[in-house]
Amino acid sequence: MKSNEMIKQNKQKIGIYGGLVTCLIIFTVLPPLRGQSLWTVSKLSTLMSDVIVLALLSIGAVFIYSLGNIDISVGKQVGIYSTIIVALGNTTDSLLPGILLCIVIALVIAVINGSAGDLLNIHPIISSLVFMMVLGGVSSITYTQLGTRNISLRTVDYSIFKNPLFMFLVLVIEFIVIGYFFNYTKFGKYAKAIGANQQVAKQCGIHIIKYKIISYIFFAITIVTASLFQMGYTGSASDSTGTGFEMNVMVALILGGMPLSGGMKSKVIYALIGSLTYSLLNIGLPLLGVEPNQVFIIKAIIFLIVVLLTSRKKYGVLPR
Amino acid sequence: MSEKVIFRTEELCKNYGPTIALKNVDIEIRQGEIRGLVGENGSGKSTIMSIASGMQKQSNGRMYFKDKEWNPDSMIEAAKEGIAMILQEANIIPHVSVAENIFAGREKEFSKFGIINVKKMNKAANALLRSYQIDHIDASVNIDRYSFEDGKLIEIVRAMSENPEILVVDETTTALSLEGRKILYRLIREMANCQKSVVLISHDMEEIIEQCDALTVLRDGDIIGHLDQKEIASVSVEKKIRYMMVGREIGDKYYREDYDVSHQEEVALELKNVSSGSIKDFSLKLHKGQIIGIGGLSGSGMHQIGRIAYGLEPLEHGSVQSGAVEIKTCLNAIENGIGYISKNRDTEALILEGSIKDNICLPLLNSMEEATFISPRKEKSMSNREIESFSIKCNSSQQWVNTLSGGNKQKVSFAKWTAKGSDIIIMDSPTRGVDIGVKQAMYQLIEKMKEEGKAILMISEELSELIGMSDELIIMKKFKVSKVFQRSPDLKETDIIEYMI
Repeated sequence: MKSNEMIKQNKQKIGIYGGLVTCLIIFTVLPPLRGQSLWTVSKLSTLMSDVIVLALLSIGAVFIYSLGNIDISVGKQVGIYSTIIVALGNTTDSLLPGILLCIVIALVIAVINGSAGDLLNIHPIISSLVFMMVLGGVSSITYTQLGTRNISLRTVDYSIFKNPLFMFLVLVIEFIVIGYFFNYTKFGKYAKAIGANQQVAKQCGIHIIKYKIISYIFFAITIVTASLFQMGYTGSASDSTGTGFEMNVMVALILGGMPLSGGMKSKVIYALIGSLTYSLLNIGLPLLGVEPNQVFIIKAIIFLIVVLLTSRKKYGVLPR
Repeated sequence: MSEKVIFRTEELCKNYGPTIALKNVDIEIRQGEIRGLVGENGSGKSTIMSIASGMQKQSNGRMYFKDKEWNPDSMIEAAKEGIAMILQEANIIPHVSVAENIFAGREKEFSKFGIINVKKMNKAANALLRSYQIDHIDASVNIDRYSFEDGKLIEIVRAMSENPEILVVDETTTALSLEGRKILYRLIREMANCQKSVVLISHDMEEIIEQCDALTVLRDGDIIGHLDQKEIASVSVEKKIRYMMVGREIGDKYYREDYDVSHQEEVALELKNVSSGSIKDFSLKLHKGQIIGIGGLSGSGMHQIGRIAYGLEPLEHGSVQSGAVEIKTCLNAIENGIGYISKNRDTEALILEGSIKDNICLPLLNSMEEATFISPRKEKSMSNREIESFSIKCNSSQQWVNTLSGGNKQKVSFAKWTAKGSDIIIMDSPTRGVDIGVKQAMYQLIEKMKEEGKAILMISEELSELIGMSDELIIMKKFKVSKVFQRSPDLKETDIIEYMI
């Protein structure tokens, strides 16, 4: 009886951490039976390079998901930024000009995405949809002009972005920095308040548009960071780079337990847990002998289970 | 009233984690009676009836309805079987028509081959509305076009459309105007005459005494006592009920007792010939240490004055000044020490899905940060201080506001501005849905604020509290000032009402 109560009360936590822990246990215990192991340097490096881009993006996305917003331009942004960094890398022999240009573009997009919803009175997803289409179009035109479907860095050394330890270090730093701003400064607190109840936030003197833009700017910086690693893994970019990332981010955040409606329940750790779980499935399932083309179905089932455990809304009625 | 018991509970219990809301409650409701349930916020009066009407499940104990064990799984099931409840909060389905709201869940009665005959439904809904003398609501219109109050009336009609054996009215009258109340009271009477039962949950002592045949008083999840018709009719009943509710003599001191209307010379807040929407050319001077009350019917424009003074409404003309600063936005207002308590507590004043701490600290974050860092310890000590000074009933500052009772919620929205140290407080319906104990504490707080030299603009639909607290009382009618009264022991509600209607 007691333990039942415990399970009931902590259902959400069990759902969130339980998914990750279960994956870890299964992928630790079962693969050795088939003469495989997750805990080898090479597998862990693969895991790191699988998770890095998604984790970097998801952690930044916490800021805008906490507003109750969803961004679907992120995949195309990663594609364009990777292309810019490679192209400018080849013409200038340095990654820096490309990075700076990407930051400028990302900031402009952040300002527009952050303010359009309230200024034009449209659902915030609309402006990100427009950017998705515009950037997709730009990418398509660019690659047609170039007469190729992908471009690679020729002279610049990008090996650092392939180093799993460096990936790990950047991930930890981003987690700490975003975690700090989200939990211990007014930027995160305001974002959560706006997501929870915009009217209240306004009456508490919060400049809604300003802090929405700031939230998108945090996200923008992480998109550029993630683009570097996306580009750096192979030193190249193509017209399909970043495709579907917006959905991966959404899946990772939901898997991690992030409420789509935003608000006070939003946490940065959810992004980390979600993207780790997601990548563990990518790496772990083939170790169990699951065909790569079946991985999607299994991920879908696991996703459904976690969502049923964590995301269902249930309002208890409490004493008055 | 017959002696037949239609509904009873046996050792009904309800816990929310460690919080006990009901302890072994045994209550009987008889056929044809109007039973009042009174008690402070959090005493469990709504909890009993919300369990009876299927909104939530009890933790322990049994219920019997019409001599059978009663265990409704949902409010819809309970309503079908005969227990309908009208809630304190808005409980309508937005964006659809009034008729669709009234007949929600009963569409089959109006449909053929899966297609709803909208005309037939609207006609039936209109007929139903008219039968309760509600003439101003058109059932075919989208419900969003109607106010909160009309929404309540629509809910009442919906509840009645199922012919309930027991109708539970939970704190509904606070949202209703005089006209709406009349409709509700008439309906309650008619029900009792037809041997149906009504449970009336209310903070309004006068209403309870006037309307009920029997009273049950609760405190801290326990039944303290019952009063029958004879006892209710006695002269000192109000005092007795208060004593039972609070568990101690709360004394007669309720409102201010002084008639000293002096205040400082300095003007804290001034509205200069303001025009916004229906408000035209409105002026007001609020001094430090002064309480100005604004009264009127809820559509008189008095609520807009509060919003204008706080920078929430765009001005077409005139200005709002605090000292030398012009108030144009809420942020201006807050930075100049103005706090605003909205009458829409749950939608505009509080983040319900957030902790007490989050709510109290939100306007303060700006002043709390040190090189961007906001110390969690500071937030905690700040909110704990306010929880203590307001004696907010909760387990910790981490507790979510939507788990608090109405009065405690209101305390949190007061605490926000005292924590911020605001010098000018605009309060719109500050004691709406709040029980006597909390009301008394709030009146004392407001009086203390005045002594400290704070300026208070108090907008309220309750004349007695306006008379009891204000130095100057502005009565509004049709968006204009119809009369200004000065504080006086001779001022009576009856003198004022003629300027309101």
